[in-house]
Amino acid sequence: QDYTFRFQSSDPAGNPNFQLQQQWAEMVSEKTDGAVKVELLPVESIVAHNETQDAIAAGILDGHITDTSYFSGKDPAFGLIANPVGAWSAPEEMFTFMREGGGNELMNELVEPYGLHFIGATTPGLEAFVSAVPLEGVDDLKGLKMRAPEGLVQQVFAAAGAAPVNLPGSEVFTSLDKKVIEAADYTVFSTNHAQGMHDVAPHPVYPGFHSMPLVEISMNKAKWDSLPADLQDTLTTSVEEFAEMQVAALREADMKAVEEAKAAGDITVHDWSAEERAKFRAIAQGEWGKVAERSDNAKKVYDTLSEYLKSAGLL
Amino acid sequence: MAEHPSHPDAGEADAGHLREAGAIPEAGALGRWIDRGGIIFAVGIVLAMLILIQEVVLRYVFNAPTIWAHETTIFLCGAAFVYGGLYCAARDRHIRVVLIYDILPPRLRRAFDIAISLISAAASGTFAWAAWQMVKRAAFAPDGSVRLERSGSAWDPIYPGLSKIFLLTVLTLLAIQFLVLAWNYARRRS
Amino acid sequence: MELFGSLQGLGIESATLLMFVMLLVLLVTGMPLAFVTLLVALIFALGWTGPMVVPLITSRVYSFVASFVFVSVPMFVLMAAILDRSGIARDLFDAMKLVGGRLRGGVAIQTIIVAVILAAMSGIIGGEVVLLGLIALPQMLRLGYDRNLAIGVVCAGGALGTMVPPSIVLIIYGLTANVSIGALFTASFLPGLMLAGFYVAYVLVRAYMNPAVAPVAEPNEMTGAEKLKLLRGLILPILVVIAVLGSIYGGIASVTEASAVGVMGVILSTMVRGEFTLTLLKDAALQTLQTVGMIVWIGIGASALVGVFNFMGGINFVSSLITGISDNPTVIILFMMAILFVLGMFLDWVGVALLTMPIFVPIVTDLGYDPVWFGVVFCMNMQVSFLSPPFGPAAFYLKSVAPPEISLGDIFKSLVPFICLQILALAVLIAFPGITGR
Ligand code: NA
Ligand code: NA
Repeated sequence: QDYTFRFQSSDPAGNPNFQLQQQWAEMVSEKTDGAVKVELLPVESIVAHNETQDAIAAGILDGHITDTSYFSGKDPAFGLIANPVGAWSAPEEMFTFMREGGGNELMNELVEPYGLHFIGATTPGLEAFVSAVPLEGVDDLKGLKMRAPEGLVQQVFAAAGAAPVNLPGSEVFTSLDKKVIEAADYTVFSTNHAQGMHDVAPHPVYPGFHSMPLVEISMNKAKWDSLPADLQDTLTTSVEEFAEMQVAALREADMKAVEEAKAAGDITVHDWSAEERAKFRAIAQGEWGKVAERSDNAKKVYDTLSEYLKSAGLL
Repeated sequence: MAEHPSHPDAGEADAGHLREAGAIPEAGALGRWIDRGGIIFAVGIVLAMLILIQEVVLRYVFNAPTIWAHETTIFLCGAAFVYGGLYCAARDRHIRVVLIYDILPPRLRRAFDIAISLISAAASGTFAWAAWQMVKRAAFAPDGSVRLERSGSAWDPIYPGLSKIFLLTVLTLLAIQFLVLAWNYARRRS
Repeated sequence: MELFGSLQGLGIESATLLMFVMLLVLLVTGMPLAFVTLLVALIFALGWTGPMVVPLITSRVYSFVASFVFVSVPMFVLMAAILDRSGIARDLFDAMKLVGGRLRGGVAIQTIIVAVILAAMSGIIGGEVVLLGLIALPQMLRLGYDRNLAIGVVCAGGALGTMVPPSIVLIIYGLTANVSIGALFTASFLPGLMLAGFYVAYVLVRAYMNPAVAPVAEPNEMTGAEKLKLLRGLILPILVVIAVLGSIYGGIASVTEASAVGVMGVILSTMVRGEFTLTLLKDAALQTLQTVGMIVWIGIGASALVGVFNFMGGINFVSSLITGISDNPTVIILFMMAILFVLGMFLDWVGVALLTMPIFVPIVTDLGYDPVWFGVVFCMNMQVSFLSPPFGPAAFYLKSVAPPEISLGDIFKSLVPFICLQILALAVLIAFPGITGR
């Protein structure tokens, strides 16, 4: 029996993330000898980016590839697991936690009640920080007018003394350009660069220090359960392979873009020292506990995460 | 294409203005209440403007933007947008293309009024049902306990949950309003 | 026969055709426009799959009303409603009449200039069309301008909001195509002014060929003092414009926030003139509620329709239209323009962008064209979509505030020459890509 699933991405069509996700769709078709076909749609085609979870549960969509933080409003646990600011300094650390540290099981515990099955995690990697003013460390964040998305990231920046506002992604460029904000949590360096963010904010911090989102690939649970076990396994492996491919591809694109940007000389790439990164990480970890208090699931995420980080010697 | 001349007693008034009476007579008592309720959401729009101004001042002059201004503004405007649709239905102010409608004899025109109102009521009722499916996920946690969906921001207000419930309420009222309109169009002698 | 899902048997080609026909037929019955699109969306949701898909529509309605970009719409409308209730607009146009002097069509040209200034203040359309419709249209009619010319100037001028940067159309294109938004803004600046220039030229040609369409003010015997008094009407509006543009370009307020600055400026102006009362504000706010109710519900219907069309596989359908059409790059581009025109007749620009950009942008880039240039071309094409019947948002926005004796038919008739000018500008843009500076 053949299966066709319609997935919606949280990225627009021309975004490198989306194009890589399309390769995942092709990968699925190849690995299953055409038994599973994934039709990938760009953000907002059927429902808005933060409505896909409901749409999957209702059977309107079959699955999504999206930043889990978009569902923080349903349960703060989603915000904490999606972006435990300061926990990971590289995508591989997060992937190991997901596969071996109980992360995958935890994610399924979180999404299953909502009618979804979590297939696996990916990430665009460590985001670069967009800034119009030179930032050398945590002290420079004091009073910084900046954009941060919903969830923990915003809370951490506020705790670090910045003045975060939540603006939609579509307002970031004009607000930076018109100096309404001085900095922004946006995305990875190469994409920031392509979208012209560095034209108006020439002091990026790379590698970033603040955010590495968990991007989940999930689908309708009933539809997942109806799949034969071998196809389930193939899908799970395909996501693991895809995650590594995406991270490698974007890392390469980032390094190329950084080289080009440095050579052009119009922008100054800032790199924080290990002490400054540690300082920011300490502030972030102070905020985790506050989120943990907001729901039972968030507490569970907090405990699992802290335990793992301790056992892995990362805390 | 021609344009609906609106209801009889508004013929001479400027469509953009509110100098004429509010809800059309066929909208009944419900329509009059909807018309009166408009002031709440009109005040909301003015409030949204003041909040934006306040935010600009706080951020630019005092370097202290709030975490609630943007979300509150969006919430107030969103509520006005949704209610505005109901408000226009009670006042018969939605834009209509009346190329055919205008050349119909009065009897047929009345039939059109009734049919359009009934179809709109059925559509609004279906949307209200669909909104209820949405509200079930926004107002209750998977375990069935009441928990309003929040925005997930640092401030984390319950606006998304409230907005979805409000949308359900307005769609339900809209369905009833169209039924009232159909009933009164049917009763009217022409 | 099972009703739910029965439409799927038609296939996407026939279903699309049926959808457009159904839109047209329902539109002329006199059913409220917003409910026509919502009803067609509902019929196709039920007919393609069944009731389980209907929450897609309410989800899109919720997301539509909860988006930040639309906050500036009630602000612009409120500004218009207050201006309309004060003497500011009348005094402004009396003063402009003086400044315009003996130039035929002077006030229409000044309206276009005001439209360009408004376009620099805002990134969307809706608010500006309403503002010009409430303020400039009655004044031009009062001064004896040809009604069609005045209507066209207001609608086409108001639509410039997305052609002159900042522009939400360009921002969404930039995010979709992953190209620099700054580069798009820079590239669209001259084409935007060029289009406004075409409108000015058209007004001049019409006015000088037939003086009756744009009467010149009587050479009245005014003393210097009287003229000076009249010119005072310019001061407050200019101060408001400086406050709004200054707050955007001075880095004080975001584009959306600046629209609130405009409202505050207008309220303060009425206070200075001694015209402010709470009743004035209350009436203006109630009118705003009604006008945004009309405007936003049209958008809601359009958004629902697009969601359902995408659900039916609209993106694949558009993709199948374009594949293998020709090897000639120019033919491909022109064919894309044709698709955009047709979609623009029935869908709003967000829907058109969602449907076509994922397919068009990679093709355009593969052909060796500059995606920034194509963004400006897309933006220009969407100018046409705002005006083209049967679904011409700018016409609907104007209708929501125009005197009742002006019918939608009158508005669409008045827009024909302006649509031609937009197509001319589009042709120039395609023939001479250098205009974008790329
Ligand atoms: Na603009
Ligand atoms: Na159109």
